[in-house]
Amino acid sequence: MIRAQRLVLAHFWSAFILFFAALLLGEWQMIMRSPLHAWIEIPEHYYRSVTGHGTVMAYVFPTLVAMGFGYAITELALQRPLIGLKWAWAAFGLVAVGSLTAATAVAVGAASVLYTFYPPLVGSPFYYIGVVLVVVGSWIWVALMAINLHAWRKANAGRPVPLAMYANVAGASLWAWTAVGAAIEILFQILPVALGFKDTIDAGLARVLFSWTLHAIVYFWLMPAYIAFYTIVPRAIGGRLYSDPMARLSFALFLVFSMPIGIHHLFADPQVGSGFKFVHSVFTAMVVIPTLLTVFTICASVEIAARLRGGRGVLGWVRALPWRSPAMLALAFSFIMLGLGGAGGIINMSYQLDATIHNTQWITGHFHLIFAGAVVIMYFIIAYDLWPHLTGRALAQTGLIRAQLWLWFIGVLIMTLPWHLAGLLGMPRRMAYFDYSNPTLAPEAWTVSAAVLGGALMVCSGALFVFVLLRAHWAARLELKPYRFSATVHPVEAVPAVLNGYWVWVTLMIALTIANYGIPIAQLMNAKTNVPAVLYFSR
Amino acid sequence: MNTAMHSRLGAVAALIVVAIAAAAFFVGFYVLPSQGSGSTVWERICRAAGVVQARSDARAALPAFTSVVIPHAAMTAGTPEQAGRGATLALRCTACHGPQGMSGADAPNLRGQYAEVIYKQLMDFQRGARSDAVMGAMVATLSEHDILDLSHYYAGLPRSKDDRLASAPALIRVGDPMRNIAPCASCHGRVDGKVGAPALEGEPKAYLQKQLTAFAAGTRMNDANAAMRNEARRLSKDEIDMLTDHYAHAPL
Repeated sequence: MIRAQRLVLAHFWSAFILFFAALLLGEWQMIMRSPLHAWIEIPEHYYRSVTGHGTVMAYVFPTLVAMGFGYAITELALQRPLIGLKWAWAAFGLVAVGSLTAATAVAVGAASVLYTFYPPLVGSPFYYIGVVLVVVGSWIWVALMAINLHAWRKANAGRPVPLAMYANVAGASLWAWTAVGAAIEILFQILPVALGFKDTIDAGLARVLFSWTLHAIVYFWLMPAYIAFYTIVPRAIGGRLYSDPMARLSFALFLVFSMPIGIHHLFADPQVGSGFKFVHSVFTAMVVIPTLLTVFTICASVEIAARLRGGRGVLGWVRALPWRSPAMLALAFSFIMLGLGGAGGIINMSYQLDATIHNTQWITGHFHLIFAGAVVIMYFIIAYDLWPHLTGRALAQTGLIRAQLWLWFIGVLIMTLPWHLAGLLGMPRRMAYFDYSNPTLAPEAWTVSAAVLGGALMVCSGALFVFVLLRAHWAARLELKPYRFSATVHPVEAVPAVLNGYWVWVTLMIALTIANYGIPIAQLMNAKTNVPAVLYFSR
Repeated sequence: MNTAMHSRLGAVAALIVVAIAAAAFFVGFYVLPSQGSGSTVWERICRAAGVVQARSDARAALPAFTSVVIPHAAMTAGTPEQAGRGATLALRCTACHGPQGMSGADAPNLRGQYAEVIYKQLMDFQRGARSDAVMGAMVATLSEHDILDLSHYYAGLPRSKDDRLASAPALIRVGDPMRNIAPCASCHGRVDGKVGAPALEGEPKAYLQKQLTAFAAGTRMNDANAAMRNEARRLSKDEIDMLTDHYAHAPL
């Protein structure tokens, strides 16, 4: 049983309720811009909804999941009560107040600037202050994760840090450094304008600073899913983790390669030199390494489970896998989506290929496939896996859970694959409506209708997810066995010091950030290329 | 593994990453920029880094960008006094732009041009964002007040307007919103055009009538999103007769 269960439940429930609300917004957007509905009369409503959907799905939902999961890991992996419970509640309070503040500003239409902010567009200061509060709350969580690990290390000198906690603190460290870019952008560029101290803003510099956050944040979202791959799935399907050092190396490499790559979002931006675009492209390609390490290690771990269940042959063991286990099903779905999305990602990060799909519907397809698909389906598994230990009660039959996972998987594919095609045909993203009666666009109309269908399946799946979790609160009480993470093939007695700590990886992360971002930021600050801000609200 | 190997592992990892970075920087900042020609290696490296280089010779020749902010006074209707002062000032413009703003000298016709357009162009000529040997000299002595007056004078001259739409039947001009019928002219020209919607003026009445009837009956269905079927279905026989008659006799 998790002692800080109310804390973890508060994080998970607020995350999932907001997630479901944002899911409904997403589906509404798809209906409004599809040929199934007349053109939206007030496009601002569409962008208001996109801002709400993006702010919840990108900032609030994954942060709350990572925080809640992080607190649970701290207690379960370190086998000690959480230090700083009051601070953790204070952090939760900040995230909640921040979310409400930002949501209000968006809901009244004073901040329809999209979650990527887009200076010179500037919305109500309440929106940015809300986002800052969410980030400050999450930084308290980062500090608590570090403090708890430090206290455990003092009491357990020389012992290897449990893998789940090692990965958790890697994710927290990544987030702490990742959020700095957007924090600088908001505090020093946007808020002075939103509050009326300045009338101009350097949009080019703002975009570079945001790219610092925008790509690495993706790996922060990914971390809980990867922790589930390594520490939950092998145990849940009756297997063993193939290699503990390989797992640690993957998380360490994510620390190094997540940061110096964000400028691949700015391939079309004239204010960044081509040399830096090339270097960022190279480092983005390096993310393939921890990703493929993970795919290899997890496939090997799964194979162990299959062979323990009597699987034989070079590939025949695949049939012996426990396909009725939700964790197994979700892992397979997640890897399929990660594979498709990863292949698309390699196109996005290629300096030349990107030109074909830059700012098209392909991009929307890509990040929904990876995040809503490969990552969020593992968030479901995290919740299902922890729920009995949080509530002390049994979950519903796995049939309902399997149906939920299938619906999500099929929904994501139906929604995102046609988007990729539409992007290749040139359909721009972020459009409130299309003129489908135009003979040039008419043949692409079905892709948006497909997204409505896929989205509808995802809404059904999301509702089912919330229902399963909710029903568990009234289910029969369970006699709980102690929670445990995946065991490794070989017991972990000693771990190389560099893979038991972070200093090498954090040093590399910061050094590469400075090498790859220092000059672009310095020269833009020097160039003083401000433009008049476009206010989206009345002061 | 022993402790020495452990500490070396960190160093090796760091070295590999630094080597990758060094190779990427070498290719991105030296190999690729060296493909071009016409500047020194250092200049190419700076360009690859995105550093804006001030080249004094080139900068002098670059035209200044526009800095004109159009004031409210240029966007609202002018007073008769402004137009009167503008008419006097415009005497110096007539040699090229014509006595009533209709040029006989390949200069732009200004008659009925929007005031804000004239204001912006004159200000740009004055500030050097737009250059022309004649106009540069003509605007040099004008005050902003003069420019506003001139703009309102020319904007006030009547521009010949296409008034054929004004005499068209209401169904063509404004449709019938209560019956959800869109104006014909919003797709077929005069108000707005839609890609793929044909011009109808002068088409044979019999042909138009046959097509509208076919759309209404649903026997012709190659219209995107059933746009024409939805319109034609709501039209009465008399309306189809009236509309086709109008288009058949409308001048091309």
